[in-house]
Amino acid sequence: MGDDLAVRATGLSKLFGGRRAVDGVDLEVPMGMIYGVLGPNGAGKTTTLRMLLGILEPDRGSRMIFGNPNPRAVGDRIGYLPEERGLYPAMKCREAIAFMGALRGLDWQEGRKRAGDLLESARLGHATDDKIRKLSKGMAQLVQLLGSIVHKPDLIVLDEPFSGLDPVNQERLEALIRSEQARGATILFSTHVMAHAERLCDRLAIIAGGKRRFEGTVAEARAELPMHALYVPRSDGPGLSALLPADAAPAGEGWRFLLPEDGIEPVLQRVMAAGHGIAGLSLERPGLHDAFVRIVGKAAMGDME
Amino acid sequence: MKRLVRQTLVIARRDFIATVATPTFLLFLLAPFFMIAFGVVGSLGASQLASGAADKAVILFIADPRDAPAIMGADAELRKSFSPAKLVVVAPDGRGAAQARDLFGREEGDVYAVAFGPLDRLTVLNGGKGERAAAYLTELAERALRAGRAGVAPGERLSRATVIPFQRAAPSQSGRQGIGYAAVFVVFFLTLLLAGQAVGMLAEEKSNKVIEILAAAVPLESVFLGKLIGMFGVALLFVCFWGVLATQGLSLMPSHGMTLANTRPAIGLVPFFLFGAAYFTMAYLLLGAVFLGVGAQASTVREIQMLSLPITIFQVAMFGLSSTAASQPGTTIALFAEIFPFSSPFAMAGHGATDPRIWPHALALVWQLFWVALTITVAARMFRRGVLKSGSGGMKRLFGRKGTAEG
Repeated sequence: MGDDLAVRATGLSKLFGGRRAVDGVDLEVPMGMIYGVLGPNGAGKTTTLRMLLGILEPDRGSRMIFGNPNPRAVGDRIGYLPEERGLYPAMKCREAIAFMGALRGLDWQEGRKRAGDLLESARLGHATDDKIRKLSKGMAQLVQLLGSIVHKPDLIVLDEPFSGLDPVNQERLEALIRSEQARGATILFSTHVMAHAERLCDRLAIIAGGKRRFEGTVAEARAELPMHALYVPRSDGPGLSALLPADAAPAGEGWRFLLPEDGIEPVLQRVMAAGHGIAGLSLERPGLHDAFVRIVGKAAMGDME
Repeated sequence: MKRLVRQTLVIARRDFIATVATPTFLLFLLAPFFMIAFGVVGSLGASQLASGAADKAVILFIADPRDAPAIMGADAELRKSFSPAKLVVVAPDGRGAAQARDLFGREEGDVYAVAFGPLDRLTVLNGGKGERAAAYLTELAERALRAGRAGVAPGERLSRATVIPFQRAAPSQSGRQGIGYAAVFVVFFLTLLLAGQAVGMLAEEKSNKVIEILAAAVPLESVFLGKLIGMFGVALLFVCFWGVLATQGLSLMPSHGMTLANTRPAIGLVPFFLFGAAYFTMAYLLLGAVFLGVGAQASTVREIQMLSLPITIFQVAMFGLSSTAASQPGTTIALFAEIFPFSSPFAMAGHGATDPRIWPHALALVWQLFWVALTITVAARMFRRGVLKSGSGGMKRLFGRKGTAEG
């Protein structure tokens, strides 16, 4: 199975007491990509990641990491940041990072050395010899993240890495993820915050209700929704709304409506002819946020039926 | 395999350092000092009791009432120069040696020696502690004879005494059983002190959620074994520290060394201690694995506290079984205690005291090692199933709860 996939999962399923937490999820993460697993709370993201890593055994389906059906066998090439953060509070930052490296087969000495460098570059150099319990929650989370990449893994799995971080640290984390990708690592992360996914992901999968509802690039996800038009007339008048498509709704100075199937031109001709003029016009794809809400909403509707 | 060993040692190292490098560890290490302090107070009382026993010690003379005054007279005279145990003259009941032997069974006080038979052909049963007492009794007989006769040449002895060491029922065997029992007790005591800690070992990981990092990187079996080895390292440090202190203390008391040498275990002293150490390791790993596994199922500190009583009872039950085995070597119950995996290390520690064969130990160690592996595997499996996986069920389970709620 020498394909160039870092992760391949087929039909992963997991039952928790009769309830299907994950129901036949397929996932293919090509090498070197930043791949997002998006989904609302309780969608089955964490369970999916745990099955991929071999922490949980799937009830059905299979997974391969670097072509190996036993994820534990390639454990030393994987770095993992669980959603439930946890470090030994009495450990010093440097030791904690070296310890996590040692668990993944990194030499202690080398781990300590790298820990110093990593902490320095994450601007946590001042805390190198501080115990974990002295750190703020966000700092401890960064330390744990550094611990999960200290052994320079080929696959980095991050479960909700941005939660609990302030915007500045979120920005740093994004930079770190990009630099890890530049090093050659594949990054698989879960989130329910669309902004990060939109900025970072090369590809993404949306999971809702234990099933995969979408797979593709950010642009493809956004293309699930039609374009929006925002039209601002030069002079508003009572007859204007009748000239616009039926779904047009006032938005600030102007009107917002879905791009009609025959394009924007007929609408523009009508408003120009009526003398309303054009003070502003923008055509835009809805954001990932809207696409996500729509995809997940549709899934929820589908599940109800 | 190499990777498993490495991962196990990473966990063990962390646990060892995390335990030893705390101020609490000093308290733990030095705790026996308090015990010793109380022990010293207790032993003062005990030595008083012992000297009380010496006061009660007697030497007995089975003599015809007609000879009694002469013997008492000689005793009164000699007692001025010597200070032997109290002399009691007993009338013969005609059974001779049998009566003398029975007298050793007297309950009040310790009987050092018993003399019987005609004064000129005296027989003295020597109870072991009474070498001087036997000579004293012989001298009494001589003096009593001389007192009744005149003109005895200065060098001539009128009495010929035979001194026979008194054989208590198979003393070497009971002595060896004593060592066996002591070995069982020492192994039990150390395990009781140290292995119980295993109950709460996973509590730390569960409360601060490190367990997922460990479980993701390392097989749970390695986590469990690593934790056991780490804690065993702590236990070993404890035992070595006190072992060195104890041997230093013993070397100051040569008499103790003598008793030890006098009662050699059947298998030999060095193998006995080596096997003892091996069985301590096994007892620690076996019981530790059980406690670790049971404790891992507990989800709160309160549950762990509640578990400490059944765990102590379990240990004491194993001790009871093994000490019975030590005092009745070769019986069915002894065999059972030696085979039943959780009492086997204790029972086998005592086994060497009475059985010189080596191979039962090799067999037992392999057998126990197998059970250590089995226990750890079962404990890890239960943990994986119960704590890492299940989302339903009445008990709030760390990951189960997460698994269903957050997914």
